[in-house]
Amino acid sequence: MSRSRARLADAFEAERRRIERDLHDGAQQKLVGLIMKLGLARLDLPAGSPAAEAVAAAHDQAKQLMAELRALIHGIQPQVLADLGLPAALDELTDQSLIPVTVDARLDGRLPGHVENTVYFAAAEALTNIAKHSGATHATVTARLHDGLLILEVTDNGRGGADTGRGTGLTGLADRVAVAGGRMLLSSPPGGPTILRVEAPCPQTTPTSG
Amino acid sequence: MPADHPDIRVVLAEDGVLLREGLAGLLTRFGFRTVALAGDARELAAAVAGHAPDLVITDIRMPPTFTDEGLRAAAELRRTYPGLAVVVLSQYVQRAYAADLLDSGDGHGVGYLLKERVGDVEEFVAALRRVAAGGTVVDPQVISQLLRRRRDPLLTLSAREREVLALMAEGHSNAAIARQLVITDAAVGKHVGNILFKLRLPQTDDTNRRVLAVLAYLRNGA
Repeated sequence: MSRSRARLADAFEAERRRIERDLHDGAQQKLVGLIMKLGLARLDLPAGSPAAEAVAAAHDQAKQLMAELRALIHGIQPQVLADLGLPAALDELTDQSLIPVTVDARLDGRLPGHVENTVYFAAAEALTNIAKHSGATHATVTARLHDGLLILEVTDNGRGGADTGRGTGLTGLADRVAVAGGRMLLSSPPGGPTILRVEAPCPQTTPTSG
Repeated sequence: MPADHPDIRVVLAEDGVLLREGLAGLLTRFGFRTVALAGDARELAAAVAGHAPDLVITDIRMPPTFTDEGLRAAAELRRTYPGLAVVVLSQYVQRAYAADLLDSGDGHGVGYLLKERVGDVEEFVAALRRVAAGGTVVDPQVISQLLRRRRDPLLTLSAREREVLALMAEGHSNAAIARQLVITDAAVGKHVGNILFKLRLPQTDDTNRRVLAVLAYLRNGA
């Protein structure tokens, strides 16, 4: 049972990578070419002419599309996670957080792809929830490997009272963790602190096959 | 295009054929001389060995693994050929990668830019020239990631000083900052002085030393 679940999680993971790769080598690459052509065209048109204005608008739209495409791809498969692994990706996640976050991820080598993905998206979801609902001024993310389990803990100093029943974020997160054969535990007494713990089975720490 | 710069000899590594040809055309138009094209990291290394270029422009992600081989090749080339200027292009930017690149050599003659910056043609060409001349150019997105990370003494900066700081860190000179913000050189000079004072960084008129000091500060703290 747990083996077939792991196979399923790996299949999802491989599919995500394929989609990301297709977008990167296809749509994104062509869009860069388009942006370059429009940029060059702008140089050739007389400043202030109607054609120059139209091309400038198209150029800006293409650049906007590029930013949106990049955000979409990042949501499917963050490149930093695929390239550099979990500690670097968790560290990068804190850049986007609205409140200060301390990360302490001590992991040697790479973990299986589906474990890295599950834990990364769990941390991302937890930090989003904290910023939206907790009123916290600080959060801590720790990741450890212990007895074949990868243990992620996200702690905040907010008002507590978080509930997996309310809001779909935590429920969706629990489901995602379950697909990886793991479990999610939440402790959030009124007044805080809130501790979200994710445990995911993690058989080995050899480099993933990609 | 003006030929007031001696030809900068370029090796260009990019696995997408259309984009590679397009970029080569752009470089020619602006007076660069593309001496070799490469489609992967191995070809890049061979081209640099064969042509001893002034500047390498490389995509970060190339065959066979499509991860960061362009970056690793760039860092390796800078170890083998100290002083070789390298610009790495990427479809997304990552401060961990910027760090790897800035730590290769002494941070001089490196650039790290989002790939679509090639579309801001004149700025892109200016960035290439700065890097070829030993300067450091870091994409605005990396700088904003770094600025978001460091909260403490940066909070003492005014909004305008933060704008100036970001442009300093991207590798711009006082004159270029003045043009972008549409203020006088003297005003920029005053902001720069205040910023360096508040962050307790050494006062210097040397643009590149200042860029490196500001980047080191943003990455590691004073």
